[in-house]
Amino acid sequence: MGLNKKVLIGTVGYQLLGNHSVGPNLLPQLQAINWPEGVVVDEMNWGPIAVIQYLESLETPFERVVFLVAIERAHRKIGEINLYRWMGGLPDDKQIQACVGDAATGVISVENLLVIGEHFKVWPKEVYLIDVEPGMEIAGEQFTKNVTAQVPKILELTRHIALNGIRGSMKILELRGDTLFD
Amino acid sequence: MCFKNLPIDFDENGNAFLKEGLANPYEHKVVDLGVEQDKLKGLMERNGFIRSVDYDPVTRVAGALAFHSVVDLKEKKVLSTNSMATLFRGYEVILKGRDPRDAAYISSRACGVCGGVHATCSALAIEMAIGIKPPPLGIVMRNILLALEYLYDHPLHLFLLAGPDYSEEIVRETNPELIDLASNTPAKNKAVHGYENVLDIMKDLNPLKGKLYLEALSMTRVAREAYVFIGGKYPHPQSVVPGGLSVNVTMSTLNEVYSRLIKFFDYSQKVTGIWDDVFDFFLDSNPEYAKCGIRPANMIDTGVWDRPDAYDATFKNCNEWGNARWSTPGVLINGEVVTTNLREVNGGLEEFVEHSYYEKWNGHQFKTDPLGMPLSPNHPWNKETIPKPGKQSWRDRYSWDTCPTWDRMPMEAGAYSRIYLTAKAKKAPESKFLENTGHSMKIHVPKHQLPERTLEWKIPEHWNTFERNRARAYCIPYSAMVAMDNWLLAQKLIMNGETKMSTSFEIPKKGTHIGFGAWGAGRGFLTHHLIIKEGVIDNYQIVTPSTLNAAPRTPWGAPGPYEEAVLNTPILEKYDKPEDYKGIDILRTIRSFDPCMPCTTHIMAKESDHIVTREVTTCACGIE
Repeated sequence: MGLNKKVLIGTVGYQLLGNHSVGPNLLPQLQAINWPEGVVVDEMNWGPIAVIQYLESLETPFERVVFLVAIERAHRKIGEINLYRWMGGLPDDKQIQACVGDAATGVISVENLLVIGEHFKVWPKEVYLIDVEPGMEIAGEQFTKNVTAQVPKILELTRHIALNGIRGSMKILELRGDTLFD
Repeated sequence: MCFKNLPIDFDENGNAFLKEGLANPYEHKVVDLGVEQDKLKGLMERNGFIRSVDYDPVTRVAGALAFHSVVDLKEKKVLSTNSMATLFRGYEVILKGRDPRDAAYISSRACGVCGGVHATCSALAIEMAIGIKPPPLGIVMRNILLALEYLYDHPLHLFLLAGPDYSEEIVRETNPELIDLASNTPAKNKAVHGYENVLDIMKDLNPLKGKLYLEALSMTRVAREAYVFIGGKYPHPQSVVPGGLSVNVTMSTLNEVYSRLIKFFDYSQKVTGIWDDVFDFFLDSNPEYAKCGIRPANMIDTGVWDRPDAYDATFKNCNEWGNARWSTPGVLINGEVVTTNLREVNGGLEEFVEHSYYEKWNGHQFKTDPLGMPLSPNHPWNKETIPKPGKQSWRDRYSWDTCPTWDRMPMEAGAYSRIYLTAKAKKAPESKFLENTGHSMKIHVPKHQLPERTLEWKIPEHWNTFERNRARAYCIPYSAMVAMDNWLLAQKLIMNGETKMSTSFEIPKKGTHIGFGAWGAGRGFLTHHLIIKEGVIDNYQIVTPSTLNAAPRTPWGAPGPYEEAVLNTPILEKYDKPEDYKGIDILRTIRSFDPCMPCTTHIMAKESDHIVTREVTTCACGIE
């Protein structure tokens, strides 16, 4: 299968935090998929500043970025999957500086990554988040049953979005930097 | 005879022994902090200008520092301080019962910046415990790896974390009277950094858009790139193992590292020139700035960067290999060196938990070190970590940080302790690039695009907020030149065919084996104390620089280093009413230590409902 876009699939999240580690835990399964040329699957936990510097250094930039994450949000059932599209926008300078401070000192956070990337203008038009509800943080290597049951769906959605972007009537939520920390 | 307060004496041969005739030799006074609190409460009730200023954590990550102070806004004085680590770290608990070989990988995660030094400390503790001497190239490459970690860390702190406090944006808000003065103050080091006046520098220190801020971000990349050629990845290297490094190094690796390291030659000249100009400006503009963050130069350091011909990992020879390090271990009291012996650095350590959320342990398993020096029941080899969460009280317990002391004195740690001790002690081995004079360190920086130049860091008259950061700036050329010394050694070893990088070992399944790893983090002093029993970790204790710096009061009431430094800080910020007060002098002081916890601080002025949020950010390893 050919693909005319250069696509990055990045997993973001701490290791060994149960459902919160959806990204890092599913990375090997994502890497095992037979992707067409142009798709890069990698962990994006090595610091937003380093990630941004990597993206800036590319001769041919990615045209679509898909992050697989698990962020605890109110009013979601554990294992619920939401698809977000990054719409840009920035919080105030003090919040950006706080994100850079966190990033430079080892905090792993996709929100920091998105904001810092936006500040340094590295994001392509298509940036998506596949966000799985993890529930409360519990240390451990395993997912709970609710999340385990969703793994095939998570992998399929990641594959679909990476290869096709948004098609048809998919429910998509918007994420903006200027309202992210409200 | 370095101990004045611990009950330890030395015989004519220098052998330590416990003083005789003491019923309870390690007894110490415990003061009631409530007396001070009652006095402050009375003052606050009587005087409306005396207010509680709380820096309270709101943080999205594991690890936080908070700070409580009582400030007299009329007299512009700080009356009382409490430093608080507000989260439990728990690596000591996680490591218990595990295979010692896991320790480097697990303890590395204690920090998101200095994972490499935690891994190295862990490796060194195991090397000492079971007797593993790494091959010369393993030692030399470890030195380069950790010098590169500092070259990542110092610019990050100076320009991303502390730097904005001296930027045009912040100074305009807090001390607008300095702006005109800065624009009329020529920059003395224009030849190396290109700025005409101090205000131009301050503009480029502005966060997010200032050129110096952005340049520091790119320099962290240069250091990181060089680092991963040896460590595999950053910040948690994959190649640091007991016995050396699990990576092959060739001339090609060295060339890759060199092509990055050389960029720090010019950058070193620029950074030291920038900070000399900025700090001299502040100190000249108002002599009161010299009092910000002032405290006696009481510091401790483990030393770093082992000589391959000296390091044998043994406890028996730790004084010798410690003194052979490129950075000398030791203790400074009032700016004077009281010891450079690692055995005494180790022997004088204690940790107290009277004002921390831990239960006191009962054991005193190791009454002496392996060579007979008496050890306190509060020594890390004897300490147990027993968390006991509880109510926060300035009268009693208020921190997850313990209170480490050396010879019963709170000690400060930092990259600056490394340069201070080494310059003062004059014990470091000869170096092509470094010269210690007893009152300064001369650093001969080779030419790159700028001509070669000798930089000189001088021991300051007063140890304060500005001098901490200035010394940290000079630690950039210091670290780069140590890396160069080691790079040349590595080249020689490879040319001679000495390419072995690690020594194989097995963890003994029987018996008790103890060791400690001593290797400074970017922020200074770091030790890992390890006890292996029957092949698994029986006890593991980590003392980080921020464990020392953020310490709460000692049981006998002496303030920890942050507490003392802030207590001595005059309030020089200009404000018309309490609501406008931003606390910049206090925040500059706390940040000058390069605090090792992510922290958002709130400043709340009593009776005003006014809260200001400020960042005091770095990493989370200071929290136990």
